Parts: sequence; C-alpha cells; structure tokens
Amino acid sequence: MDNTTDGPSSEGEENGRSGITGRVLGWFDSRLGLSHQLLRPAPQYSINPFYWLGALATVAFVIQGVTGGIMMLYYIPSPTQAYATTQYIFQTVSYGTFLETIHLYTAYAMIMLAFMHLMRGYFVSVHKKPREVMWVTGMVMGFVTLGFGFTGYLLPWTIVSKSATDVGIGMMGALPQPVASFLTFLVVGSGSDAGELLRFYDLHVFVLPAVLLVLLVVKMYMLEVHGVSAPTSGDESLTPKKKKLIPIFPDVSFYLVELAALFGSAVILISVIFPLSLPPEYSPALAGQYVAQPDWYFLWIYQILKISALEEAGLAVALTVVTLVFVALVFLPFIDRGKTREINRRFVYTTLGAIFVGEVAVLAVWGYLTPGIAIPNETAALVLGGTALLVTLVSVVAYRVVFGSLGLLTKSGGHRKIPEASTQPSATPRAVPAKSAVLWTSCVFVVLVAAGAFFIGNSVSGVVALRLGSQGAVQSLLLSLGGLTLTVVSTLYFVYRLDLGTGAIKRRVRAFEVGWRE
Amino acid sequence: MIGEVSSPAKEAVAVERMSVRIVALLLIIAAVSVFMLWSVNPVGGGSETTFALFLAVDLVSVAMVSYVERAVSREGRLSRAPLIAGCCFILFLVVAGVYLFT
Repeated sequence: MDNTTDGPSSEGEENGRSGITGRVLGWFDSRLGLSHQLLRPAPQYSINPFYWLGALATVAFVIQGVTGGIMMLYYIPSPTQAYATTQYIFQTVSYGTFLETIHLYTAYAMIMLAFMHLMRGYFVSVHKKPREVMWVTGMVMGFVTLGFGFTGYLLPWTIVSKSATDVGIGMMGALPQPVASFLTFLVVGSGSDAGELLRFYDLHVFVLPAVLLVLLVVKMYMLEVHGVSAPTSGDESLTPKKKKLIPIFPDVSFYLVELAALFGSAVILISVIFPLSLPPEYSPALAGQYVAQPDWYFLWIYQILKISALEEAGLAVALTVVTLVFVALVFLPFIDRGKTREINRRFVYTTLGAIFVGEVAVLAVWGYLTPGIAIPNETAALVLGGTALLVTLVSVVAYRVVFGSLGLLTKSGGHRKIPEASTQPSATPRAVPAKSAVLWTSCVFVVLVAAGAFFIGNSVSGVVALRLGSQGAVQSLLLSLGGLTLTVVSTLYFVYRLDLGTGAIKRRVRAFEVGWRE
Repeated sequence: MIGEVSSPAKEAVAVERMSVRIVALLLIIAAVSVFMLWSVNPVGGGSETTFALFLAVDLVSVAMVSYVERAVSREGRLSRAPLIAGCCFILFLVVAGVYLFT
C-alpha cells in the first residue's frame, strides 16, 4: 500500500476539506465511510427546525433513557419503597434533583414536540400519498409517548401522581367492555397497589421503550424510502440552491447536532430556573383531601369529562367522542383524500386543525385554572362554541386577507394536484405562492387566536366564579377582559397593517375622517 | 459576512482561518467548562445549578462549533448573528456559573 495516500492532509483533500477540522473529519470519514451516502441526502430547504421536530423528540427520548437509566440504579418499584427511593434520589444522590428535573422536563418537551410535529404535519399535509403508513406509525408513536407520560407519572408514588393515575384508571372502566377489561388488566392486574406499580414500572422502562424503538426504526426506514416532504407550494417556487441535495453527513448531521445541543441547553436552563420538588407521599387518608388532577397533557380530556352532561352516565359518550377524535387523526390519510397540499386551498381542514389546537389549549388552561370544579353545560357550550367560532372567524379573515379567497375551489372547479416528490418540478401552474411573509402572518394569527381563546375562556370562567361569589373573581375577570381587549386591539392593528399594501382599510378609515373623494 | 477581502479565493482563506480561530476558542471554552463542572463539589450548596450551567456552556459550545463547520464547509461564509448570540449566551452562562461557583 502506498503510505502517501494515508496521510491526514491527503484525506482532507480527498474529502474536499482543508484545515484542522477538515482533516479530523477526513480521518474519520476514510475509516468509517461516513460520507458514502448510506442515508438518502436531504434537500437544502429541510435545514429548518420545523422539519426536525420529530428528531428533537427523539433526542428528548434519548435524554430520558440516560437519566432514567441512572435513576433505575436507585429506584425500587414497591409501594412501600417507591417514595423513599425517589426521595433518596432527590436528597442524597449527587445532582439527583437535577436528574429528576431533567427527566421530567424532557418528557414534557417530548410530548410537546410530538404534538407540534403532529400539527405541523397536519397543516402541511404530509399524510397524503405516499406517506399514509408513515403518518399512522407516527400517530402510534404519539400514543406511546403519552403512555410514557401516563405510566411514568405514577412511579414516584406521591399523592399527586397516585390520585391522578387513579382517575385515569377509573376512566378506563367507562370504555366498552372488552377494551376496558383488557386495559384494566394490563395496567392494574389483580388490583393491588404493588401489582399496579410494578406493571406501570415494567411498561415504562421496558415495554414502551421497546415498542417506541421498533416504531422509530420503521419510521426512519419510511423516511429513507420517501424522503422529507416537499413544501406545500411545490418545488418550483424554490431557488436551485434551496432544492440542492445535501448529504446526511456532515451537513444534516451537524445541523442536528446544533439543534440537539441547543435543545439540551434550553432544557438544562429551564431545569435550573424551575427545579422540581417532591410532593408528599401517597396515603389513602391524604388522598381524600386532595383534588385529583392529571398532568397538563391530559388536562384537556379531563376538562371534557368535567362537563356536567358528560359526568357519570355521560362518561361513555365523552370517552367515545375523545376516542373518535384520536381515531380520526390516525386515519386522516384515508379521510382527507383530496390531492392538494397547499394551505391556501385547504380552508376546511386548516380551520378544523386550528379549532382542534384552540380547543385543546383552552380546555387545558381552563382545566388548570378550575381544578375539581364541574363545568355547567351552558358554560361549556359557550366557551367551546365561542372558541370554535372565534377560530373560524379568524381563519376566514386570515384566508381573505392573506390569500385573497377561501380557496375552496380552483377555477376549473376542482382541487389542483400538487406533486408529491420533493425533487420533481410541477407541471401545473401555481396560483398564490405561500411565501415566508404568509407563514409569519399565519403564525401571528395562530398566536392571536390562542390568546383570544384563552382570554375568552378565562372571562367566562371569571363570570361564573363571580356568580358563585368566589373571592378574587373580580380581579381575575378584569385581568381577563383587559387581556381580551388587548388581543382584539392587536388583531385589529395587525389586520390594518396587513392591509396597508392594498390600502382598502386605510381608504375606508380616511373616508370616515374626510369623506369619500374618489 | 466576516472577512471582507478583495478576491473570492482570499476571502475563502480568510473565512477558513477565522473559523479555525473560532473553533479553537470554542473548544477551549468547552474544555474549561467540562473541567469546571467536574470540579464542582456535589454536596455543596448550589452545586447542581453550577454543574447545570457549565454543562449548558459545553452544549452551546458544541452547537457553535457544529454551526461554524457546517457554514464554512457548505456555504463558505459565516453569519455574524448566530455567533454573537451564541457568544452572549455563553458569556451569560459562564458569568452565572462562576458567580455560583465562587
């Protein structure tokens, strides 16, 4: 072998790199074949955090695996020792509180990232052909992620975790019989506390991680087959530089390292600012004095179950409705069979998605603010209906202002087909290109909708509390109304600013001042 | 853009040199932060916070090294904004960490 070809400098040159980092990378590359395109290259436009939300959720999963693995060295899954060993981790183990806090907050981040990944995928229609199975796999991974939250919540055996888990297990009994029996057997077993805790522990540290890893491999395989989805507006709106394919190593890998490192540092900072504290240990005597409340990601479901009409006899109806929502999301690719992917031509589905996000946010915040308080039917109808109406109105206004129409039909009377492949140019003409300004506008509208829904819900809650003679209701109501006013004013200002380009609103405002002269 | 020079070739060399200096500095910061976080007395008051802050410094440094390598090798240029933001963030974390450490 000619030794001159094995030197570091020549490796760097072979890989088109120079300098210290180039030579180091070249050394590894020549030994490990990292740049041999084992994985499909990604287009340049995928260098965007929104394309890698699932990858970030996976990073959160890995961090949980590491921190959870360390905690397993100390934790004993027994009702008599679970709390004591958790307390030992908090108080005695070096950096134990930090470990527990990181584990919990990455779990929260994983759930939030999975939800963002889901809704981003929904709004940009990644579920369309040929990614239907990928979507269903992702949904199942989402359920497994929620399962992690549900099973892990019980393990510290605190009054908070045990009471909330009991509520969840109680809800399973209202499901149709074969499902209820199976789920109850799966998580509770014989019904003893020891059996329940052990099953939750097994599910949390063995079954669910194994299932998630298998699903992750399946989804990665499908990503490798189909590649990342093209922008909804098609490829032709992109510059050649944006369309250029870049290798997974080093370009995309380095980008993911950046994202993962920044995500890790953000979680660490949040953990430092808001360290976790351990609630009191569970005991049947204490449980009677405590208002059971699930963790934030289940609060929206819990709030639905607190609606008067859906309590007790109506519980099965409520659970059926929630189950149907999940079923609809799982089978979305087979329900939403239209071929268009452009947001400006998917008014109905975009609005339905926005209503879903709005309702979930309102219900979660409402549930957090009203622990253990039953919701009167008329209040529930007012808040949920009001939120849906507000979101629909904002959606209509947004479509009219941003896209010029609701885009329900094309000129030819049907939906226009957008190419699926990421690298194929479109043969059909484009109508309204979705630019970054449009995306920003949409984001601002979503924020305004969320704020509006929150303040409407809070105002209604304040009115109800005022009628019940609750202390501090006036202050809460005034704050909510102030926030609502601010949101409405912000929305009006935003719409006014948006319209400055065409000047229609400005002309109307001026007409009030000086009269029409045109 | 960093390294305003006349010809594209000279500019590329200048950016490469600049990136090597930045990466070297970041690696030193990362090494010092690793040394500091392992030097923290785990039973001392506020040790968890100090440990976490130096760990965050390490991660941000890694993110910046990754950014510099990616930007230089792919685009041949470095943007100021991410570097300045990262440096400010590291400075904040180091000051907070040293304050707690001492």
